Order: sequence, then C-alpha cells, then structure tokens
Amino acid sequence: MTLYSMQSKLRRANKKNYVLYIFCNFIAMMLITAYTAMMMSPTVLDVLPEGGDSRKQMMAVFVLACVGCTVFTIYGTSLFFRMKAKEIGLLMALGAGKNRLSAMILSETALISSVSSLAGTICGIPFAWILWRLFRLFIVDSKEMILRFDYSCLLVSIVFLVFIIFAACMMGLRYLKKTNIIDVLHEEHKNEPVPETGRIFGPIGILLLFTGAVCGYVAPRVYMKVMSAYPPAWLNLFYAPVFIGLYLILLHTIVHGWKKRKNRYKGIISRSMMKFQGKQTVNNMLVVAVLAAGAIFGVFYIPISMTGQMIELSQRPYSYMYKYPGDTVGLKADQTEQIADAHDLSLKDWQESEYLTLGMDGIQEIEEDNDKFHEEYTELLQEGSFLSEDSYNRITGQNVQVEDGTYYAVNNQEETVGFYLNQNGTMLTNMVTRENLATSFKGFVNYNLLVDTGGGVYVISDRDYQRLNSGIADEWKGTMAFFNVAGEDSYDFAKDLLYSLIDSFGDKGEVISHYDRVAKIAAAENGEVYWGDTDVMTQISYQNPDTSEFRGYWKYMPQFQIMDKNDMLKNMAVFFMMFLFIAIICLVAAMIICYTRCMTIAANNGYVFTDLRRLGGSSDFLEKEIKSQAVKVFSVPYITGAGMMCILYTLIMYGNDGKISASEMYGLLVCYGIVLILSGIIYLLYRMTSKKIADMLM
Amino acid sequence: MLYVENLHKSYQIGKEQYEVLKGIDLSVAKGEFVAVMGPSGSGKSTLLNCMSCYIPYEEGKVVLGGQEIKGINEKELANIRNKKLGFVFQDFMLLDGLSIYENILVPKIIQGKVRRKEEQRAEMLMEMFGITHIKNKYPAEVSGGERQRTAVARALINDPLIILADEPTGNLDSKSSNKVISSFQEAREKLNATIFMVTHDSFAASHCDRVILLKDGMVYQNMQKKTTSGKFQDELLLAIKEMSEVKKDDLI
Repeated sequence: MTLYSMQSKLRRANKKNYVLYIFCNFIAMMLITAYTAMMMSPTVLDVLPEGGDSRKQMMAVFVLACVGCTVFTIYGTSLFFRMKAKEIGLLMALGAGKNRLSAMILSETALISSVSSLAGTICGIPFAWILWRLFRLFIVDSKEMILRFDYSCLLVSIVFLVFIIFAACMMGLRYLKKTNIIDVLHEEHKNEPVPETGRIFGPIGILLLFTGAVCGYVAPRVYMKVMSAYPPAWLNLFYAPVFIGLYLILLHTIVHGWKKRKNRYKGIISRSMMKFQGKQTVNNMLVVAVLAAGAIFGVFYIPISMTGQMIELSQRPYSYMYKYPGDTVGLKADQTEQIADAHDLSLKDWQESEYLTLGMDGIQEIEEDNDKFHEEYTELLQEGSFLSEDSYNRITGQNVQVEDGTYYAVNNQEETVGFYLNQNGTMLTNMVTRENLATSFKGFVNYNLLVDTGGGVYVISDRDYQRLNSGIADEWKGTMAFFNVAGEDSYDFAKDLLYSLIDSFGDKGEVISHYDRVAKIAAAENGEVYWGDTDVMTQISYQNPDTSEFRGYWKYMPQFQIMDKNDMLKNMAVFFMMFLFIAIICLVAAMIICYTRCMTIAANNGYVFTDLRRLGGSSDFLEKEIKSQAVKVFSVPYITGAGMMCILYTLIMYGNDGKISASEMYGLLVCYGIVLILSGIIYLLYRMTSKKIADMLM
Repeated sequence: MLYVENLHKSYQIGKEQYEVLKGIDLSVAKGEFVAVMGPSGSGKSTLLNCMSCYIPYEEGKVVLGGQEIKGINEKELANIRNKKLGFVFQDFMLLDGLSIYENILVPKIIQGKVRRKEEQRAEMLMEMFGITHIKNKYPAEVSGGERQRTAVARALINDPLIILADEPTGNLDSKSSNKVISSFQEAREKLNATIFMVTHDSFAASHCDRVILLKDGMVYQNMQKKTTSGKFQDELLLAIKEMSEVKKDDLI
C-alpha cells in the first residue's frame, strides 16, 4: 500500500464528507452560472431597460448571491478540512513531511474542487433553461420569453471557479502551515466563541438597523436638495449601519436570546454550545439574513407590481378606451361597430371626446458636468393632453368644476402617479398660433383610464378650452373613445381592434409614450437635437404590434381590458421571471448555508453529545438540544431578513404617498402570504436537517 | 537515549501569558520504561508534546539519540517523527477508514516502504499484542483496549528510539489498561523498546522502572522502582500526597 492508495481508501471511507464538499461546490457553481446566464441573457437584457432600477437591483442581488455562494463554499471547504484535520494531523504526527502532504492535499483538493465546480458550471446553463422552461410551461409563455444565452457569461463562472479552487487549496495549506500538530489533531473540537457582549448590544443593534435604513433612504434626497447634484454611489454607505445592527441583533440572539428566562438553567447546554461555536454561526446567520431579504425582495416584486394592476383592470368602467391624433384617419364609432359585429359583439355606453395637445411651461432639471444639476424655468417644457371640463365630466360621470385660468391633472384613484404630471404649469400654449394662456395647477382629479405617464392628461374649463382650440391644427388635436361591449367579450376582437387602430395611423404616431413634440420644437428653436430623435433605447415598430415593447411603450397604446389582462403577465413575464429566479437562487443559497452550518455544529459538537449521553442524557433530551440549536440557525436569520423586507415594503408603500391604498394593501397581504409559504419550506428543511443531525449524533 | 535540559514553554491565552514548563531537566536511558505523573496543569502533556516536536518551545534542549531537535528543518523533523519516535495517544488516533493491519503499517506507508519484511513485522507485533484475530477489522469494530494495542503496535513498527505515550490508559477500563501496560512491558522485554509515558494512573506507573513527578511545570521528584509494583504504587501515592502539601519553594 502506498500513501496515495491509502488516501484513496480513506476517501472511500469518508465519502459522506467528500459528498458534502462536492455538493457545496457544485451547487455554488450551478447557482452562479445559472444566475450569470440569466443576467447576461439577451432575453432578459432586452426587457430590462439599460441603466434602469431593475438592472441595478438584479446586479445588487447578484453581488448578494455571489457573497452567499462564497460563504457556503468556504464553509463547505472548512467543514471538509475540519473533518479531515485528524487525518492530516495524524500523518504529520507520524512523520509525513509537509512537502509530501502538501502535494497530496493540493492535488486531491484541486482535483475534487475542479471536477465538482466544473460539473456545477456545466449544469448551470441547463438548470437555468429548465427553470425558465418550467416558468413558461406552468406560469406564462410569450414570444419574448424564448430564452437566449450569451455564453460569455461563462467567463464570470470561470473566475468564480478559479476562486473556489484557490480558496480550497489555501485552506488545505493553512492546516499544514500550523506548527502545533496537536492543534491540527484536535481541530474538530476547536471552539470559536463569540465575544461576550452586554445585553445593551441587542437594542443598540435594532437602533442601528433602523437608523441605517432611514439614513440610507433619506441621504440621496438630502444630497440632491443640498448639493443640487445627483447622488453619488458612495451615499449607499449610509446603509452600512443596517449590517452592523443586523450583526449585533444576531449576536445578541446567540449570546443572550430575547426571552427573559425564568429558569436560567433551561436550555443552558444548547445555548452554551452555540455560544462556543458562535463566531462563525453569527457570520453565517448574517449572510443568510441578507440572502433571505434578497429572496423576499425578489419574490415580493411580483405581487406588489401585479396586485394593483389586477385590481385596476377589474374595476375599469369602460372595457375599451383608445385615442388617435387628429391628423390620422383614426377609428370612428361605425368602424369600431363593424369590427365588433364581425365578432358577434355590439357596442354600448359609447363616449367620444376631442382633446387638445398643448404646450406647458414649468421647471426643468438641467444636468451639468460632475453629476450636478440646476433648475431652470422653461417656457415650452412639455406637451399635455387637455380635455374640457364638459368632456371630462361626460366621460367619467363626475362633476368637476374648473375655474378659468386653472387646470387639474388626472391622477389615478390612489394618486400614485403625480410625479409624472406637471404640477407647476403657469402657461398653456397653442402650438400653432402660439397663443398663451396663464394658468395655475388646482389639484388632481382621479380617473384611472385617463392616466397617462407620458405627458399627462389635464382638465381645463370649457371657456379656456375654446380659446386654446381656436386656430389649432388637426395634428395638435385628438380623439378619445370609450365603450363597453354587449355579448361575450373576446381577445380576438380586442386584437382586431388594435390592428385596425394601428392601420388607421398610416405612418404617423409611431413613437414611444415619452416622445414629446413640444420639447422637440423647443429643442429645435434652441438649435439643439431633441433626445427623442437620437435615443435608441426604446424603439417601437408597427411591424411588431404584439411585442412587449410595443404594447408597453407605444404613445397611443389603447387600454382594452381583456387584452391588458391577458397580456399583463406576458408583457411583464421576463421581468417577473427574473425576479422569481433571483428569489429562488437566494433562497437555495440561504438554505444550503443553514444546512452546512448545522452540519458543522453537529460535527464540532459530536464529543459533547457523547459526553451528555454518558452523563445519562436520554435520546429525547439530546434531540431537544439538537433542535434548539438548529431552529436558531434556520429561524433567526430568516425571520430577521423576511421581517426586514416586510417592514421595508410596508414603509415604502406608505412613504410613496403617505398612505397605504387598497391595492397596495392587497399586494402586501399576498406578500405576507408568500412569507408564510416560504416559512413552511424553511420549516421542512429544518426538520430534515434536525433528523439528519440526530441520526449522525445518536 | 533522550535528555531534556532547562525546557521552557508558555501559552498565550488572550492577553495573558502562562508559563507551563519552567525549566525541566530529565533523561531517559535505552530500554528504560519511564512514567511522568503529576496533577492536572502540571505540564505533563505539554512536556511530551515538546519532546515529540508536536509543539514548539521557547527555551531549552531536547536531545534524541544525540541529535538536538530544536532548529532542525521541517523535512528532518518529519523524518525523526517517522523513524526515531513512536507515539501512542490517549484517544488512540487510528484512521477509521483503514483496517487494524493497515493502521499499524501507516508509518511505513508514509516512508513508501511496505514490503514483505515490514508486513512480517506488523504480523509479529499483532501476534505479540494478541490482536491478530482483528487484523482485518476496522477501529470502529474493536474494543478500546484493542485499539490502543493497535496504536502501540503502530508506534513500534519502525523500531523507534523511543515510544512517547500520552495517557495511553486514560480512556480504558482497568482490564484493558492492564493489557496495554503488558504490551509496553512486552515491547521492552522482547524488542528492547524505550518508553516514556505520561499518566495519571498510579497502577500503570507502578509498572515502570522510574517515575518522574511534575508539579507546576517543574520536576518535583524522580522515583526509581526498587521493589514490587504493588509497593511501588504505594510509594507513588504517598509521594503524590506529599507533593500536594508541599510549597513551590521546595521543588527541586
């Protein structure tokens, strides 16, 4: 028998140890590769706008997932070497030279790490594909969801793979560098006690957590106000107290716990065991809490975004609304009637109204160098669609009184889109005659179907409307039509109507919702090129009326209830699926960290359980001690992370407009429901892990 | 065979420095069976670990077979551990994945020299210590006493200059302890082995030629066995009792 054949025999005998190590590497690489493949997939990149918040969030969660995978890989590796330490130490004690051992350990570690990581990398892309396929099969499918990969994503995986192999080899060499062989031999029993902290650190942690959250949220706004500049990235450092606070909370949980104990001896063994292995447990819990928060963030995105839309859709007073500018043929009532006839439907509740597109003045943020900006009054700031008071009341059934020289902006019922509406206008301009009318913002009126986040819809008095209408050309006018259908509404009718509407535009109006003709004229008059004619970020085409881009960004996109309902999931599918994917990755990473941590605790405390058994500890008692430790590892970071996100989302909902609207409340309730379901999954894993530890120790 | 001169060793625990060995002097002759006894914290295991080159020490000399072990390079140190020293640990330290026979051969496997000659020696040692019948079993399948006798056989496979044993009977019942001590005695008689054993067990120590009593990191007494094991055990117990009453100033 040679040293190498002996090693291979020992490998076979300790295969559980190797399997856990291989599993950790495999999963880490598979998750990283799958995430990178999705993140860099043209399918996803085409949908998430460049420079948009969603991409930033996706990148932030990627960093989080990398940290999580790094942590559990390092833990898997340290657990592997801890279990191997006796073997290494004994060979050193019996005279194996460090050079020989180094060569042996390095070659073994490098081989196992490479093979397991490579297998994970190879499986990463099929894993992403299968997961995506399942989404398409069971949740939603659309043309945009056909998954395409950019294989340069593998470069990121290779960097991570090299890191894993390097970290594993370094960790192996660390044992060999130790001069004290007895330490290596007894590595399995080594304690990692947490610093003894006072009871005050728990409340300080909570305080820091909230202070960090508030400071991080408020700092960019304060910076913009004070410095008149866009907030730099380093302002995110204001969130740092969140992590310190989180660490202190977890530390307090391990050292003292939050319950006031009547009997100080109750649970003393499990508490002290956790305390003496606490350093890494607390670090692990911190990462798991952050990952759980990431998972909850990803999974909340869907209900928060969709619940409000679903409610709005189901409560529409008109099933159909469309508009067209006056210089196009457009769809008149009789043409729409004909199309409906072809689908065995008839129109009812028909309302039609003319509107004017006028220039509005206002205050604009002008970007300077070095991310600074200043505010500047602009006479021709933007366009707006203006309805007369009479038309608005007729369409909506409301009774709004508008004084001359004032205007109302049309907001949704929950008044969440006020940000997009001009609330500082002092002058309206007929863009043909250039006649101006002094005006002032009076407030909001609410009607969901008229909400337009492009230029906005406004209401002026009948008299002001007549004045501004005088001499205006057709291209600055438009028609809005609203109706319901008698008979069973059909998607095909909605689709036909959309196609007919597009046909009626000819080659006009092929622009995105934020394309502003007033701003274009103002730019031309200043000798500048209008950004809307240069930017290629969101291009739409009449050739592709079924794409998410077209339906999401066309300036004259109609609102057809049945089509919007059917298309909502499809249009947003990639968006939602990416966030669901993020949630799954974070959750899997968090659960694996919890699992490996519990296994480490079990491996390190094996001798304590042997002693407890010798002291007469029954199986029930030992099982209770195991469970009380495992439950902390699983529940504390999950409750902290999920709790943080629940509070954060609730605060954001409230902070948007100072209230929580009904649709927001429904969204939040769905989120809380999801948290409960995830809790169930975590609980199942906890039960499985506890059972495995019990089998291992008893 | 082995001598130790003015050996000092300290541990750093937190910010505190604890001196465990405070200038130990001792020697062991070829073929001698020596025990070291002393209360907990007296430095017995630390002394053994320093002599084994398992842990570094700050000051003093450990000379084995004429060669001082401090300052020699890593490769040579490994060679000394492998060829000149044999170790027996309290918790056996056998490799669970190898059979009893393979465990005995580990030092030879490390050398890369497992030929018929080495296999015959392993078989001879197993025969001598009565563990041939468990040759192909694994450590988890045999008793504590059998595991420790396997460890003794492993320590002897290279015919070392000295066997260093750290509380070899500490984890065993009295019957198994007797068998392990008998193994040492047999090794000394038949193989002329030199044994240096740290123990708490006065019965085990009473079978040695000489017992060194340690207290607070210094040698308290060097006791030569001049009588039967039973009487020597009584002498040891008396000396230990006296030692617990003596002040530090009286130490030699």
